[in-house]
Amino acid sequence: MRANLVSIKAIEPTPSEDDALPQLHADQRIANASGDGSSGRGRLVLKNVSKNFPGSTVHALRDVDLVCDPGEFVVVVGPSGCGKSTLLNMAAGMIKPDNGTVSLDNQPIRAPGPERAMVFQDHGLFPWLTAAQNIEFGLKMAGVPRSDRAARVDAALKLVHLAPKRDLLIHELSGGMRQRVAIARALVMEPAVLLMDEPFAALDAQTRTLLHEQLQELWVRTRKTILFVTHSVGEAVRLADRIIVLHAHPGRIRREIKVDLAHPRNFDSADITQLVRTVRKEIEDEVNRVNAEMAETYWKPQAPGDLGADPGVMGDGI
Amino acid sequence: MLILALWETAYRVIGWKPWLFPAPSHVLDALLGLMNIHTGFGEPISAHWPRVILEPGQHVRLLSPWWGSPLMKAILVSGVRLLEGFAISVALGAILGLLMWRFIELDRFLGPLLLGLQTLPSVCWVPLAILTLGINEWGILFVLIMGSFSAIALVLRDGLRNIPPLYPRAGMMMGARGWRLYYYVLLPASLPALASSLRTGFSFAWRSLMGAELIFVVDKWRGLGFLLEAGREFSDVAQVVAVMIVMVVIGMLADRWLFAIVQRRVQTRFGLAT
Repeated sequence: MRANLVSIKAIEPTPSEDDALPQLHADQRIANASGDGSSGRGRLVLKNVSKNFPGSTVHALRDVDLVCDPGEFVVVVGPSGCGKSTLLNMAAGMIKPDNGTVSLDNQPIRAPGPERAMVFQDHGLFPWLTAAQNIEFGLKMAGVPRSDRAARVDAALKLVHLAPKRDLLIHELSGGMRQRVAIARALVMEPAVLLMDEPFAALDAQTRTLLHEQLQELWVRTRKTILFVTHSVGEAVRLADRIIVLHAHPGRIRREIKVDLAHPRNFDSADITQLVRTVRKEIEDEVNRVNAEMAETYWKPQAPGDLGADPGVMGDGI
Repeated sequence: MLILALWETAYRVIGWKPWLFPAPSHVLDALLGLMNIHTGFGEPISAHWPRVILEPGQHVRLLSPWWGSPLMKAILVSGVRLLEGFAISVALGAILGLLMWRFIELDRFLGPLLLGLQTLPSVCWVPLAILTLGINEWGILFVLIMGSFSAIALVLRDGLRNIPPLYPRAGMMMGARGWRLYYYVLLPASLPALASSLRTGFSFAWRSLMGAELIFVVDKWRGLGFLLEAGREFSDVAQVVAVMIVMVVIGMLADRWLFAIVQRRVQTRFGLAT
């Protein structure tokens, strides 16, 4: 039974995997993301995408195919330098791919825009504005009339439980509150996709756990498509419908792992632990592979025999 | 206060020559004298001291209202010049700083040049100004502007470079484009830079102006520098020291009360102040 809860699929991109849906506990069963489709909006497609930064010999990303269905929570994990942020920035429109296409609901993505709201690791809130004004900013840019803005800002603040803090400046908020304001600022624009770039990496463990819970609650309520980048396996397993493990140098998709556990998740359950183990193993293998590759080209530990060399010849050849 | 007391005591005990270096009491007399308030606190420096004879038992004598006094007129003249010159200087420096931040090629070309100009003492512009523009208001303004715009441009450029790239990215993500990105994101983000560039620029401008006024004598408009120079011409050491004190006090007041407070408020808003 337990083994059925988690279905793990190999890397080959096979879009039709609905038949592999496992049985879930009845009490854990909540509408699956792909089945919801409340708006039908938010289908993010990266097709055959490659990126090579100038001056680098390996591809930051090579031939990556990724489809996020409307309402799906996709988490990308991988060792540092594997191109996860590049992937996200491409979806945001901050970076253009060398090859391939990135599109949202069949519209090609060319520049950053409010329909692909992003939550940054360092929140990126404007320090000269209050929490409420920060949230209002996107609406103001979109030309929403002032009277409508106030109501929407209030709603967004309530959504992240920060209504009493509306008039505080950013530096007067705690790290966790700042990220919540950043999330509210993204959600208030009613984006089709929410892009999250390691949003909780700079927070302490307790705050992070709390924000995981709140994010899940938010996601269940709003059913946005979320593309979330992290290096934390625990975070990935806790939040994702689907985990994408990236392969570094060149960056490609190493493995896709579908997580068919209901939200919100109990972190202590055995299924989660098992899944964490699987993903962690996958990433460790990847890190070891990368390290081994680096060692071959750049550096190898010296043979211990050198240490026993005759001290009388020390400094020879300097 | 202690220093002033020691200074005065030293003067009275040692009895050094008052025409070489004055006592605080002389400076006070001179300062008040420039404000048309004639007093006689100091020891007589010469036969002409105090310059206005006080009758026995009288300690203060008013000649005309203090606001029409040479000192007040000089402060007004210098202040107007400062405002004019500083405004032009800020406009010029801000445009240059902005362009240098935006176009790296321009910065490669202009950056070292401006840095060189900044190291040049502003008084060195005086001969050129005299020959080219003549001895008039324009000459003084020219020296003031040349002395301060480069500092404003450089400080502004550096401040703009320190704007976290995340702000424009976040702005674009929220749909700010073109002039809106500049007006709603980059302009407010540059406020700390702007505040510190104004502060630096002001002190440069004030120094340049005083230097220029010392040498340029535009007959109709007599600034603080003129009073200083006049003190030298009449060998009135007390007046020289008094005018220097006024210059320092004005510069300090503007810096502490105006620019420091503006800067402080901006930094508090941004959470940069400790």
